[in-house]
Amino acid sequence: MIRVENIQKYFPIKDGFFNKKNGDVKAVENVSFEIPEGEILGLVGESGSGKSTLGRSLIRLIEPTNGKIFYNNEDITEFSEKEMRKLRKDFQIIFQDPYASLDPRKKIFDIISQGISIHNKMNKSQIYDKVLEIIKDVGLQEEHLSRYPHEFSGGQRQRIGIARALVLDPKFIIADEPVSALDVTIQAQILNLILALKEKYSLTILFISHDLSVINQIADRVMVMYLGHIVEIANTKNLFSNPKHPYTRSLIETAPQIFRKNKNKTLLKGDIPSPINPPSGCVFRTRCPNPCEGCKNGNIEMGLIEVETGHWVDQCCVNCT
Amino acid sequence: MDSENLLTIKNLRTHFSVGESVVKAVDGVSFNLEAGKTFAIVGESGSGKSITALSIMGLLPNNLAQTERGEILFDNKNLIDLEENEMRKIRGNRISMIFQEPMTSLNPVYDLSYQISETIILHQKKSKEQARKIAIEMLDLVGIPEPQKRIDSYPHELSGGMRQRAMIAMALSCNPKILIADEPTTALDVTIQAQIIDLMQELQKKLGMSIIFITHDLGVVSEISDHVMVMYLGNVMEIAETSELFNNPLHSYTKSLIDIAPQISEEKRKIKVLKGEIPSPINPPSGCVFRTRCPCPTDNCEKGISKMGLIEAKPGHWVDKCCYECNKND
Repeated sequence: MIRVENIQKYFPIKDGFFNKKNGDVKAVENVSFEIPEGEILGLVGESGSGKSTLGRSLIRLIEPTNGKIFYNNEDITEFSEKEMRKLRKDFQIIFQDPYASLDPRKKIFDIISQGISIHNKMNKSQIYDKVLEIIKDVGLQEEHLSRYPHEFSGGQRQRIGIARALVLDPKFIIADEPVSALDVTIQAQILNLILALKEKYSLTILFISHDLSVINQIADRVMVMYLGHIVEIANTKNLFSNPKHPYTRSLIETAPQIFRKNKNKTLLKGDIPSPINPPSGCVFRTRCPNPCEGCKNGNIEMGLIEVETGHWVDQCCVNCT
Repeated sequence: MDSENLLTIKNLRTHFSVGESVVKAVDGVSFNLEAGKTFAIVGESGSGKSITALSIMGLLPNNLAQTERGEILFDNKNLIDLEENEMRKIRGNRISMIFQEPMTSLNPVYDLSYQISETIILHQKKSKEQARKIAIEMLDLVGIPEPQKRIDSYPHELSGGMRQRAMIAMALSCNPKILIADEPTTALDVTIQAQIIDLMQELQKKLGMSIIFITHDLGVVSEISDHVMVMYLGNVMEIAETSELFNNPLHSYTKSLIDIAPQISEEKRKIKVLKGEIPSPINPPSGCVFRTRCPCPTDNCEKGISKMGLIEAKPGHWVDKCCYECNKND
């Protein structure tokens, strides 16, 4: 349904009196992948790896610097603003922070119905019925519609955020860390809700998270991102049982688990480097537990290759080990 | 008092008056912290974890919070009764604390040298030059590269992980007996979190301090702690050794938390759910506070007439009695 080819996003750094361009923040570098209809694709990585930028570029909330995005085989990077606006109702986002993403001065009904009044030609009672149906689907009641966001808990707000995303019958949802701000018991409720609604509304979802165990529960396939690059793509089972890239391995090993005391896990040293001046060659080489000679010299080309059916890994790591 | 126990907390109650009503943020918490061990406090937001920690440190404003009754015994003294100037000698010196968000808990207008030296000069009566030397050693100890250079950095020049290391350096600079860590890794990426946990364990071995580790993440608890206390709405639900708690949980809330905790497995698991949300502490449920969300409440629980209180189900394994009795009868 969505196909991305070599998408790239650089944010220019402007400086000084004449706004002279002073380099780029290389947020997303030559990323290609597909999301088939009805899939939940997980996107995982540390902060600063470019997950959110990639998500927003997909629906052109951020204009990608380069590359093509196909939606139902149409190249939407060529679309005009006007054509794009018609498509907008097919794409929706659920945001991370339910406190910041709802307008505190609007009632819940207005928050949810705003999208309909812009996109659809429904009359008032139709709009009300539609909103009512959605609010019940996300587990809230009619009386909640006349309240303000501050009257709700974090979990309820996230339900409202989901209702707002669903009200236009979208096809594709970007869930950008939707459960990261929530307690674990509420997190489980929201994940279950997303799964149930995905079936009911036949959605395709890009699920962004930094938490591998959440991704493990919800995603069909997983992409691992590091410093603007996709370093591994595989279906969930393969990725967790047989991770190929040392970064993926380390993420899995270092995620704290209740019933697994992993004494000799590979700790990654250092921090994620700055995307303004990423390492040459393989971007992971500065933190790699065992880089080979070629990596250290920094003249290796990155790019995904398919090692098993449907399991793609960055080539330099494959050639290395 | 058991000689091994460094800190004993008995029936701690911290209440806040909000207008007409009283918020019972911590309502009868008791536990022992053993020397050289790590004690984890786990629970959802609003369960009273941080207020327990702040009560121990005496950091709550007197006009709002009332820590009534209860005892916090450290060094044969009840910290609740101490005068502010005596408490000041303990705070930051014998008991120190690190916080969740290292950016907001470091002062942005002072460099690290000033911020770390401050405690050393105050408590250890060292000169400025000596304090700076100790500060550099501390930065080296917590694994900050090039400490001679970094000592003059300001907080905004450091990454999140480095800031948390600097916080730890500051907290440990007076060689405290107890380090209270309030969600120290929650704001960090998982690879950095692993580094910080590793560092804390290493420092504990080297310096022999006890740690009270507050977190909402059961995975982290399992990595770092010797004992765990599970809190819910200001009350203690269960206290046990870490492996005992995970392998043999006795309270329904603990069981649910373990069931729900997302875990990495090779097979996709069904997501289990605990219904509802944590009730308001202004008006908590009568009887057992957990009954509104309990997956298996008994008649007595539902009527709200069961009495809460810890009993020792097995040596060292304490659980709230009403839940224990119900579960035993099932």
